Amino acid sequence: MSIWEKLMSIPREVIMALVFIAILIPALNPLGLPLMVGSMSQAWYDTVDNMPAGSIVLFDIGYGSGGYPSLGPGNIAAFHQMFENDLRIVMMATDLEGSMMYPLIMAGVKPESNYGAVYGEDYVFLGYIAGTQTAMAGVLGDLHALASADYQGTSLSSLPLAAEVGGAEDFDIVAYMTTAGGTAEGWVYQAYSQYDRPILGGCLSMMTTSIKPYYDSGQMLGLMDGIKGAADLEFLTGHAGDAIISSDILSFTQTLVLIFILIGNVAFWMQKGGGK
Amino acid sequence: MVSMDPQIWIAAFLTLAATSYAFRDNKAFKFAENTFIGVAAGHQIVMGVKNIRDYGWSHLMQGEMIYIVVFLLGVMLYARYHKEYYWLYRYPIAFLVGNGVGISIRAGIHSDFTLQIAETASPLIASTAMGSINNIITFVGVITALSHFIFTYEGMHKDTLGWGPKIGRWMILLALGASFGNTVMTRFGMYQGRVIFLLREWLQIIA
Repeated sequence: MSIWEKLMSIPREVIMALVFIAILIPALNPLGLPLMVGSMSQAWYDTVDNMPAGSIVLFDIGYGSGGYPSLGPGNIAAFHQMFENDLRIVMMATDLEGSMMYPLIMAGVKPESNYGAVYGEDYVFLGYIAGTQTAMAGVLGDLHALASADYQGTSLSSLPLAAEVGGAEDFDIVAYMTTAGGTAEGWVYQAYSQYDRPILGGCLSMMTTSIKPYYDSGQMLGLMDGIKGAADLEFLTGHAGDAIISSDILSFTQTLVLIFILIGNVAFWMQKGGGK
Repeated sequence: MVSMDPQIWIAAFLTLAATSYAFRDNKAFKFAENTFIGVAAGHQIVMGVKNIRDYGWSHLMQGEMIYIVVFLLGVMLYARYHKEYYWLYRYPIAFLVGNGVGISIRAGIHSDFTLQIAETASPLIASTAMGSINNIITFVGVITALSHFIFTYEGMHKDTLGWGPKIGRWMILLALGASFGNTVMTRFGMYQGRVIFLLREWLQIIA
């Protein structure tokens, strides 16, 4: 077996072990590699920063445990900025596991102790609402006709913030973070096209190529591009967390992937060219 | 100092068991896989029942009798499993499809079609050099990629005209490459999230 043939058939155990090492090294010894803030994340930050205090945000936690490592840190940073700017947040979940992510996010933000926020006055969580676009249309159309209680069963009429919002016109902005393409598109359809509400979106990096056209065409004001976008938001808001730790690791692992792609291509062409 | 919290230990074990598949299929992975399916199914049932209670039953109890129709349609979905009355399930399915299309079609055309065409048709020369380059790439990419899918005129893929579909194919491949790169980043992002959990919450060797 020639060297090129060997390089073409590296056992996956070796590749996985190298990936694991490439994750471990920067995790144990953070390198502090420079972070270039993307324009889409900067647009998200600037949009929230320019909103007047007291504005109401409809925020969809549209991801579950699988999406939490990518979107959770960005979600925490986004909430830090919103609470710091005295925005009020009506949260809901279009993902089945979204209601399980809510306590994790709140444990990271600690709105009561960090910002003196009060549940019911400054933020509310409606829980999981099934139906994706039907749920969006329901919340934006007439929230109180759809739901009568929050996720813990407390009557919406007894929660000042929930009692104040009736439909789309009461939300100053709609924001979502999701792992589902249908949810990301759904919010653009329902909130922007149907009700002309400004939108901020967050999605997995693998979804960015299909969601970015909505940002480019002005239908979204900001877009958080997966873990990279999350690191940007953590940097901009000054709340360093898992995403900034991850950006070092990402740089390392992506470099390793590039090296493997190069090795694979060089070996392929050398074999094809008779360089055995 | 390793964590003494049993919840962290369970999460750590399941993380290691789930990721062990990267090396070879094994019993620990099977255990993690089956546990996940069981927990996810259980959670789904609970959330489904909660949704029926919160967004259906509560309305019915408040005297909104129209919700009887909703429940009836829901029950009719299960007719699918009956040999004689299986056809009944077609009515709720028709309602679901009609409702879904009705809710999204107008906005879908506006967002995905009208506004995207309007954006693509914007002037090639922008206020900045990079903006102009972006607009030109977008314009050339859209036109040539669309030409790649014209199959009714054979001459479109031959001779001089054939360059359009060829460039279009390269544009599509570039987009797929960008998608692949982002997918790799997403997968690593998920995996490293779990590695950070193992090092910080379980082994407690990083801050």
